[in-house]
Amino acid sequence: MVTVLGTRPLRVAHVRPWKERLLGRDWRMAWLFLAPLVVIIVALIAYPFLSGIVLSLQHKVIGGPATWVGLQNYRDLLFGDQYGATFRKTVWVSLVYTATAVAAKLCLGLCAALLLNEQFRGRSLMRGILFLPWTVPTVVVALTWRWVYDGTPSGLLNLIRIEAFRSHTLVQFLADPHLALWSVIAVVVWQGTPFYTMMFIAGLQAIPAEQYEAAAIDGAGVLQRFRYVLLPGLAATMVITVLLSTIWTANSINFVYVLTRGGPVNATMTFPMLAYEVGIAGARQLGTAAAVSVIFFPLFIVLIYFLTKRMLAPEAQA
Amino acid sequence: MTPGPRGARRLDRYAPPAPARASRRWRNSLRTTVLAGGLAIFTVWTLFPFVWVLETSLKSNRDIFQEVTLVPRHVTLQHYTALFHQSEFLTYFKNSAIVAVSTTVIAMLVGVLAAYAITRLSFRGRAFIGNATIVTYLAPPALLFIPLFQVAYQFHLTDRALGLIPIYLIFSAPFCTWLAITYFRTIPSELEDAALVDGATRLRSLVSIFLPLSLPALAVIALFAFTNAWNEFLFALLLIARDSQKTVPVGLAQFIIGDVFQWGPLMAGALVASLPPVLIYTVAQRWVVAGLASGATKG
Repeated sequence: MVTVLGTRPLRVAHVRPWKERLLGRDWRMAWLFLAPLVVIIVALIAYPFLSGIVLSLQHKVIGGPATWVGLQNYRDLLFGDQYGATFRKTVWVSLVYTATAVAAKLCLGLCAALLLNEQFRGRSLMRGILFLPWTVPTVVVALTWRWVYDGTPSGLLNLIRIEAFRSHTLVQFLADPHLALWSVIAVVVWQGTPFYTMMFIAGLQAIPAEQYEAAAIDGAGVLQRFRYVLLPGLAATMVITVLLSTIWTANSINFVYVLTRGGPVNATMTFPMLAYEVGIAGARQLGTAAAVSVIFFPLFIVLIYFLTKRMLAPEAQA
Repeated sequence: MTPGPRGARRLDRYAPPAPARASRRWRNSLRTTVLAGGLAIFTVWTLFPFVWVLETSLKSNRDIFQEVTLVPRHVTLQHYTALFHQSEFLTYFKNSAIVAVSTTVIAMLVGVLAAYAITRLSFRGRAFIGNATIVTYLAPPALLFIPLFQVAYQFHLTDRALGLIPIYLIFSAPFCTWLAITYFRTIPSELEDAALVDGATRLRSLVSIFLPLSLPALAVIALFAFTNAWNEFLFALLLIARDSQKTVPVGLAQFIIGDVFQWGPLMAGALVASLPPVLIYTVAQRWVVAGLASGATKG
């Protein structure tokens, strides 16, 4: 993919030494400036990426020696007695978790952006308030909601049920296998929505006012303007936001870790959580844990490829 | 003052025909209702957990656990006293500050230099390194956490707060580079060409032309980098076991003893831990939206 990331000043043509012809005019200074970034990319991303693949082909316990086992880890995960059922459950949970959370964030974020794009007094205060969840550390958010969901009469939701609705039962939001995943998703949506809101506000501001006016003069109603001006104008932003958010939501571990640790009975076991449980907690099988992540590599490589193309596309530039 | 019937009738002369006016008035009140209702729902949904944190942190343990009420009967600062005097919280806070500030400074230096090279210098492999930056910025560290855990062991980065800095650079450096690229691209190259013709060196032009022009943008990038590092949890959890080296997000867990959550100090700590990023964002909110518009960020 050829991308022009800047413009190059015009220079008077003269015969350049062969190195400059081969490596480019400013190659010395460029690689000097790039050296720190290249070191970080190679040592901390490319190397772990490759060592993750190698690790997934080994049997290794933390601190112990590694032995080569070929595809055994993958066989164990996909068909084995110990992990097979859990892994298949994990794939399903990750899918439901990511798809539902992203869809909900998209809808809520769009609604909030449309509201906050209107003219009214106190708008910047409202923006500040609705932006808050995104600024709070995820662990703090997760702990807070764990306390909101608490299964004793002290937890906020159960307390409200008792005080306001005279309920005599306690709901186990995080311990009930039917509720736990939805409770976790609600937290993810709570924190993630402001990111969508802000992206969409920025996107809405980029739509020229003339387009609305032209549509209004042509007699387009609110819904028609939404459908024919707003949605097309926001499409590029939406695609980028959803792709970004899909990658990060699927890979987030903090909420699940603090709220449920993947339980009850794997009802909230997303794949990063499974990797943690297999590799770091319980069995400490680094090889198998690496395989959990590696299986998902191709999916994210495809997503990242599309997103990279999108972010470099001219219409995505502000 | 609301106009009475007579005032309304006088205005009628200049008003559009009755059906259109009625429909517009109806539409206006509908707009107000939807706007106010929507905003009210979003505000309650957004704020209630914050209210609950604040309330819990100010309740006595008796009000939290035994005689539970929605509205606290007594306000007490005992949990804050416990937080600052009977726990290592200040140490965690200091560690977090050191790690987050160092990460930000290093990532900014790396990012600005790299972004300058990618946007302004001519060399083979420029497009490749530009793409590699975006790909690494998009690659979620959690996908690599098992091998990174092993790498951190090999490089002896475990069990010390400063060891987190290189790990945090994984996402901060490509991220700062990418955002700096998006800003540097908006600076017209004529400005720099003039300086170069006058005999300024590249470094000189970077320092005296690019940096001053993109100062507000760089401030926003620094904000993102700082809060990313301040809020990070997974690697701090994986790599640090010693109490004196913990950062705030991991340190909060010390109020969880086995299955018992000490919600009072925990919520007090949660509140204090949120203050730096919340304050920063509240102050810089307007520029943050502009920053999101041009580069997008991790969220």
